[in-house]
Amino acid sequence: MSRLVTYCGIGLRTAFRGIRRSAGAALATVLTIGLTLWVIGVFVLVGANMRALLEGLGEQIPVVAFFAEPVGEATALEWVRRAEALEGVDAVVYVSQEAALARFRNQVGGEELLEGVEGNPLPASLEVSLGAEARAEASALRVAEALRGFEAIGDVQHGDDWLVGYTRALAVVDAIRWTLGVVLGLAALLVVSSTVRLGAYARRDEIEILALVGASRSFVRGPFWIEGFLEGMAGGVLALCLLALAFGLLRVPEGGGFEMLLGQVPPRFLDPMESLSLVAAGAFLGLIGAVLAVAGPRR
Amino acid sequence: MGDRKGARLGDPSQSQQQPGGALLRAYHLKKSYGQGGFAIADLGFEVGAGELVFVTGPSGAGKTTLLRLLFGAERPSSGQAIVLGRNVGRLGEAAIRVLRRRIGFVFQDFKLLPRRSVEENVAMPLEVVGTPRQETRRRVFAILKRLGLEKRRQRSPLSLSGGEQQRVAIARALVGEPAILLADEPTGNLDAEYTLEIMDWLADVAAHGTAVLVATHDANLVERSGARVLELAKGRLVADTKAGER
Repeated sequence: MSRLVTYCGIGLRTAFRGIRRSAGAALATVLTIGLTLWVIGVFVLVGANMRALLEGLGEQIPVVAFFAEPVGEATALEWVRRAEALEGVDAVVYVSQEAALARFRNQVGGEELLEGVEGNPLPASLEVSLGAEARAEASALRVAEALRGFEAIGDVQHGDDWLVGYTRALAVVDAIRWTLGVVLGLAALLVVSSTVRLGAYARRDEIEILALVGASRSFVRGPFWIEGFLEGMAGGVLALCLLALAFGLLRVPEGGGFEMLLGQVPPRFLDPMESLSLVAAGAFLGLIGAVLAVAGPRR
Repeated sequence: MGDRKGARLGDPSQSQQQPGGALLRAYHLKKSYGQGGFAIADLGFEVGAGELVFVTGPSGAGKTTLLRLLFGAERPSSGQAIVLGRNVGRLGEAAIRVLRRRIGFVFQDFKLLPRRSVEENVAMPLEVVGTPRQETRRRVFAILKRLGLEKRRQRSPLSLSGGEQQRVAIARALVGEPAILLADEPTGNLDAEYTLEIMDWLADVAAHGTAVLVATHDANLVERSGARVLELAKGRLVADTKAGER
């Protein structure tokens, strides 16, 4: 055990000495891994927030029927009663033009978006909630179809269309993340492996002497593995910091950035486990790159 | 980072006690490179513990090749090189590295690392066997003091004179208390004063029980030492003069 501790101490000292000696190559490794993981992290973060939005909205997306023309409250209530009578409908809420405008301002904070727009461009609508048993896509479509038959209704939207598109977008984000993960990961491995190999070449005299005084292969290679691991970990931390910086910048100004995309769902950063995974991925990339760099016969 | 394969093979020091105390043995040892004839041709000799032996001969006689064969840096074409009871030619790389931990080697070109201090250079053989740091420092200081280099221990080898660098190389070879010390032209780069100093040290090392084999072409040095001499010519052993026979 004490011998293992001694070996670890020697390995760490030698690794730090190697990093100091090949500072340029070490920096290249850290930057490569950092930028690679940053790009991958962006897609992880976007995907995580899109997923959060999906979970936040869940099954609460109602069928919305927009009136073709402005209607009085009495007329609107008549259409509410007719909509409530449809099979599978649980509740119907009338949203006046004024209420729609107030909600838009409240949710999106889009005062500046409405600058120059005369009057109230938002139509009045009926928000139709379906009963639990009617939330299947077929029922929602049937209700939407019935609402389209109402003379006063100009357009009907129901969440399923939006959800399908959104889920597809999420799948695309995930696919990009995995593709980039593999491609950039391999590229980073190549760069890390090359820089570690350069470092090993620069220290070939030391490696030769170590072999001459009886050092085992793992004793010679260990410091390079530690070097790769530490540089990869530093790259992971760098990616995390860059990601946090980008996330902070996108949150400002209030009401812009993520809030525009996500509506009422608060944007979130990577949770501790995801952050740790990012750093661990960097360490893993660095370690594998180093292992590949110093593999093979070395006398 | 230890060498489990090597550990399984056992500590060579445990198998070094041969009948008669020979630590180095060569039997019909041959080494050839392609069609170029033999660099070493049918050598046979033994070196015991505490013996100082010079290997002499002109350039190309096979002195360095012989040392490299004994050190496991080369494989014999035929015959056997038995070092500390192990047939070097049949050992795997890991086992050779383990064996080297019991052999000190002083190189003609010193092979010191300029970016490491004297102390760090000397500590290398102790580090590879996992010697604790405090123990390493103590032993390094002791050997440097013995060689008069303790005040130079923090300096780069590049800042030392040729003789001092050679002493650092000897210190590194001896710090692990090897059973065998091989030295290839250890005074080749030194002036007369340093040469005598180094030779006195090698004799002292042998007097402490280490088998010392020194390759040199310096006839005066050999003459002065009065030690045993293996004289090579074109890879063949042409004379084995015991100590005191000259």
